Amino acid sequence: MTGLRTLAVVFRKELIDGARDRRSMMTLLFSAAIAPVLFGVLFTVTAERRRNAENITLPVAGAEYAPVFVDWLRQQTGVTIVPAPADAERAVRDRDEDVVLIVDKEFEKDMARAVPAPVKLVSDTTRDGSRPKVTRVRNLIATYSQMTGGLRLILRGVAPGVATAIRIEEVEVSSSQQRLAMQLNVLPLLLVIAALTGGMQIAIDSTAGERERGSLEPLLLNPVSRDAIAAGKWLAASVFGCGAVVFSMVLTINVMRRVPWHDLGIRFTVTDGALLSLLGLVLPLALLLSAVVLFASTFARSFKEAQSYLGMLMLLPMAPGIISTLYPLSHRPWLAPVPILGQYALAADVLGGSPPGVAFYLVAGVSAIACALVLVGLTARLLRRESIVFGR
Amino acid sequence: MISIQGLRKRLGDVDVVRGVSFQAADGTVTGLLGPNGAGKTTTLRLLSGLMRPDAGSIHVDDSDVIADPIGSQCVMGLLPDARGLYPRMTAREHIRYFGELRGLTGAALDERTDRLVHRLGLEQVADRRVAGFSQGERTKVALARALVHAPRNVMLDEPTNGLDVMSTRAVRALIRGLRDDGCCVVFSSHIMQEVAALCDRIVVIAQGTVVAEGTAAELRQLTGRADLEDAFVTLAGLDPEANG
Repeated sequence: MTGLRTLAVVFRKELIDGARDRRSMMTLLFSAAIAPVLFGVLFTVTAERRRNAENITLPVAGAEYAPVFVDWLRQQTGVTIVPAPADAERAVRDRDEDVVLIVDKEFEKDMARAVPAPVKLVSDTTRDGSRPKVTRVRNLIATYSQMTGGLRLILRGVAPGVATAIRIEEVEVSSSQQRLAMQLNVLPLLLVIAALTGGMQIAIDSTAGERERGSLEPLLLNPVSRDAIAAGKWLAASVFGCGAVVFSMVLTINVMRRVPWHDLGIRFTVTDGALLSLLGLVLPLALLLSAVVLFASTFARSFKEAQSYLGMLMLLPMAPGIISTLYPLSHRPWLAPVPILGQYALAADVLGGSPPGVAFYLVAGVSAIACALVLVGLTARLLRRESIVFGR
Repeated sequence: MISIQGLRKRLGDVDVVRGVSFQAADGTVTGLLGPNGAGKTTTLRLLSGLMRPDAGSIHVDDSDVIADPIGSQCVMGLLPDARGLYPRMTAREHIRYFGELRGLTGAALDERTDRLVHRLGLEQVADRRVAGFSQGERTKVALARALVHAPRNVMLDEPTNGLDVMSTRAVRALIRGLRDDGCCVVFSSHIMQEVAALCDRIVVIAQGTVVAEGTAAELRQLTGRADLEDAFVTLAGLDPEANG
């Protein structure tokens, strides 16, 4: 019996067994759905907020004290002025309003005397959702203030520019594509989670589960190579992991097409091709992660024990992903040979619009698969240990 | 044909097997009789090649189990103490899986599977998933997959444990059938009637060593006890009077 045939027999059995396991299939589907669902919600909500900032309803208290100012506000595009609730601060605290403008009754008098006229802007800075709207209102007020101030200077025969010592000119160097990448940085992390959890159930079931049921000893009584058995189980788990990644990717691409990008102020130029090329990075990683899970759960005597080990192990592939959402790993393609970290680095470049060359994909893939093979070999060695074979 | 010489195995701080030697010839049923914890299961594990002895030699037919465990696994079939099944797979799939791992394919595999299903009376449940199987049905499936390659040397660890009368009879019939086919059958048990009913030769194991061997009649003669159970109790050193 050749090793390859053993591998094929074990692989097919584990696939069929896994496919019949409702728990395996559910985790596959759930893990695949995380990315697209999260993105759909994330981008739609962000777009919603931007839109909210453009079309704002601004409650104003004491509008009668500043008819000219309020009229000017009303004329601005997308601004609707409504009467403010009686207790403005409470309304904001209770999240009934994002922002309330209160005009002081001395406003007109102060305007006439050319001293700063007081208004109150009630907002809650801890609320991310209202921030764009508050900023918009503050900018509107600042614009009116500058305009009026300029006119006053002109009346007094002074050039308005005199009052401005420094003029800031914002130069945004990141392309809109890079700004998008900031948001898309989460995508590789989500794909890694799909790769990890997709094959997890079947990897545990075929190792710790096999020990727990007492089916490992009978299996090993067959005159076959341990390497072939471990490899068959590994590939079966990998199919599930890769399946979760591909499924996740297809759904994500579909979600991306439906996101209202123009509302985000971004021209969505990450092509489907670029997104698909992420598969070239994450699929070898799925093979590696399945091997990691397989190896770790071979130590466990039961499904439960394996899950407790893996709870900690989950952090290993996720940590670089979480860090990379804060400190993008872009423009570090030399990380390619480092499994997991390399994939995140290359993915950041793909999403940043400067995809690395095919050679980097190959290096990253070969390195991940080499590590996986080492782990599969170690798993096979575990299957020779008496404490593993008989330890129940 | 199985030949064991001076087998020793220490697990943790316990000498589980302390110099076990015996021979089991083709065409006979050899019973390993011993109380719980005597070292029967460990002896069979050593015999299977999955566990390595600290000392001693094991030969099955012409192959050396210690030097070539995989090679000797080809000529033996073993029903171990652990007989876990895959709950989502059918009885037939279990037999076929092990058959395929043994290199059987196509018509030969079909034929072998059908024969075992028939021989163990599994026809009614062969294509059902084993999740809901009774203890007897589970043992039969485990037996069938252990025998799928028609081994010449068969080792069974307490094969009738937890079985009802009908299942026990089916297993006994199978063991007799294997002997009549000329196989070398070794099975362990702590049940006297079982051993008396089936075995041509009995090897009594107690505290990790062989304390006596022979036919049932020889053992009775050896101990001067008329009843095999009394003979066993005496041999295994379980007799309170003798120890007293």
